Amino acid sequence: MRELTGRLAGLDPDAGAALQVIAYFDRLVDARAGLESVVRGAAVLSASPAWLHAPSRHLDLRVTPDGMRHDHPGVPAPDWCHVDIDEAGTLWLERPGPAGPVEAMILERAALAARAVTARTRPRRPSRRELLEVLLDAGAPEADRRYAARGLGLSPDVRARVTATPGGRLDILQQDSEPEPSERVGVGPPARPLKLAATVEAAQAAARFTAAGTASDPGPRVVYAENLGVLLVLTKPGLMQQSLPDVDALERASIAAPWMLATLDALARNASHRAAATALNIHHSTLQERVTQAERHLGWALHDVDGQMRLATALMARRIRQAT
Amino acid sequence: MTQTVEGSEQAGGQLPPVGPLPPYDPEFDAGLAAMQAQGFLPPPLTSAEQIPVLRAWMTQAFAVTDDELARNGAYTLEERQVPGPAGAPEITLLIVRPAAADTATPVIYHTHGGGMVVGGRRDGVPGMLDLAEPSGAAVVSVEYRLAPEHPHPAPVEDCYAGLKWTAEHAGELGLDADRIVIAGASAGGGLAAATALLARDEGGPALLGQMLICPMLDDRNDTASARQSYDKGTWSGLGNHVGWTALLGERKGSADLSPVASASRATDLSGLPPALLDVGSAEVFRSETVAYAERIWQAGGVAELHVWPGGFHGYDMFVPQSPVSQGTVRARRDWLGRLLSS
Repeated sequence: MRELTGRLAGLDPDAGAALQVIAYFDRLVDARAGLESVVRGAAVLSASPAWLHAPSRHLDLRVTPDGMRHDHPGVPAPDWCHVDIDEAGTLWLERPGPAGPVEAMILERAALAARAVTARTRPRRPSRRELLEVLLDAGAPEADRRYAARGLGLSPDVRARVTATPGGRLDILQQDSEPEPSERVGVGPPARPLKLAATVEAAQAAARFTAAGTASDPGPRVVYAENLGVLLVLTKPGLMQQSLPDVDALERASIAAPWMLATLDALARNASHRAAATALNIHHSTLQERVTQAERHLGWALHDVDGQMRLATALMARRIRQAT
Repeated sequence: MTQTVEGSEQAGGQLPPVGPLPPYDPEFDAGLAAMQAQGFLPPPLTSAEQIPVLRAWMTQAFAVTDDELARNGAYTLEERQVPGPAGAPEITLLIVRPAAADTATPVIYHTHGGGMVVGGRRDGVPGMLDLAEPSGAAVVSVEYRLAPEHPHPAPVEDCYAGLKWTAEHAGELGLDADRIVIAGASAGGGLAAATALLARDEGGPALLGQMLICPMLDDRNDTASARQSYDKGTWSGLGNHVGWTALLGERKGSADLSPVASASRATDLSGLPPALLDVGSAEVFRSETVAYAERIWQAGGVAELHVWPGGFHGYDMFVPQSPVSQGTVRARRDWLGRLLSS
């Protein structure tokens, strides 16, 4: 019985072998066979090992004429007859000398079939979101991240920044660009494309320092991680879960008056009370009244730098805790 | 002239509708088409008149030399004329033994396939040797009388007589009578199953196991897969009808047919040796093979069932390079290895 299939391999060039080869690979493609089946067809029909070698795609597929998969650690010999499948891969037949007419036909039709299989199975051009996902995944192979960077239009020696919303959505900013005015994001430090994945954590930490920028949630909508310095450690997991009396006091203060949070935020972020009053667009004396009230709720003085720093830190801690 | 589909409404039966035959594996599809184009496939058996054509095809397609069987001296070949059933002619056994064996070897007792109407003792032996080789087993292949010239019970009784003789003379042949596994494909699978039933009911010989490869078990030929394959594949439902009719004549489909004629008829499947059953999903014998395995389990027996996706009848012989074929052979080897080391 073996002879029957052996005869399939010993195709006579003069006896319509070309048609057989064409029909064989066409049917494989029609039946939605995979790449290994195509390589197997080449091996069985040519009675020599067939090797699909596509290193940039991490694809190495070798089948011997008995149909068994026997991958090889080395590389194909350059003098074997071969055909380029596409820019990424080549199909080799392991036999010495140039391809005869039957081998040439087998290689040609196998290549067509392999391209058809790849086109069918390769996903459509990846979306920006898919490319971003790969670029910013520290666990993704470098080759994949390089491919993603190219797809996103990032040049390898130009720096960019990761942006992260509090909700977890990541994006990238080209060098020297700024986030859109409406965005609320943490921005990571500048880095070259292949290093961007390592900056994601910083961008996400910075996002936790952002606020809606409204009266009820005053604070910056955009925070640059590199401006936070040591403050970044406040986002260490679990840190904000402990008892923080200042934050509790801040919560109590915040519900005491509608102007409270916005006023406290201005006090924290401006060098002087006068500047804060200007930022709030209120009279300096109005501000002083508010300060007095606030101090009562908070339990500490707001007229010096220590008090201001304590307030600023408490506001940041409150924001981080809310974002958890 | 249209053929009446067995069990169809025209034939007076009421059978549930079935979908199309499951698709072939892509490599089987392409391989079959290529072989068809080159004329390598068996001629379809559409009527009893075609039996001689099929016999001629089988002879040349399965032709294998003594040297090929001996595998470069790894095996010795011997033929023995042994007593047939009472009142019947002698039968010939082909005995293929590992040349280097120094202890009694396990035996695969092989009943060849061919729809009950074609084939001989040498057919299918290379495949059996592939299975035997890892465990150093010998293969004994029986030449049984064929239908329609010799209808039931001739074929199965010849198989049983050969088995009895092999077990009784195991010692002198260097075979281990305690480790005889009966194996066959297609009609050979049906005969193996029937012989195992006979051996149980006659009180011997004891069998270690039964390997039923896409077995021809059910003369009624009205299962879902039989209907799906009515006119398709290397062994169609129609061809099956011709084979069973040649074997049983008027008795085909009768209510009181003996299980030894058609193993699916057995009501008691208890007390049988452990079974391996394998079959393709896209062939005529799928349904009856699955049903037989299930009924062995219902009787509390031991069986292993593999239904290989996209397999047509005899796929592992016609397209051995495909991964499905390789998996099929691996599973048979594994089963045999486990059985022989238990």
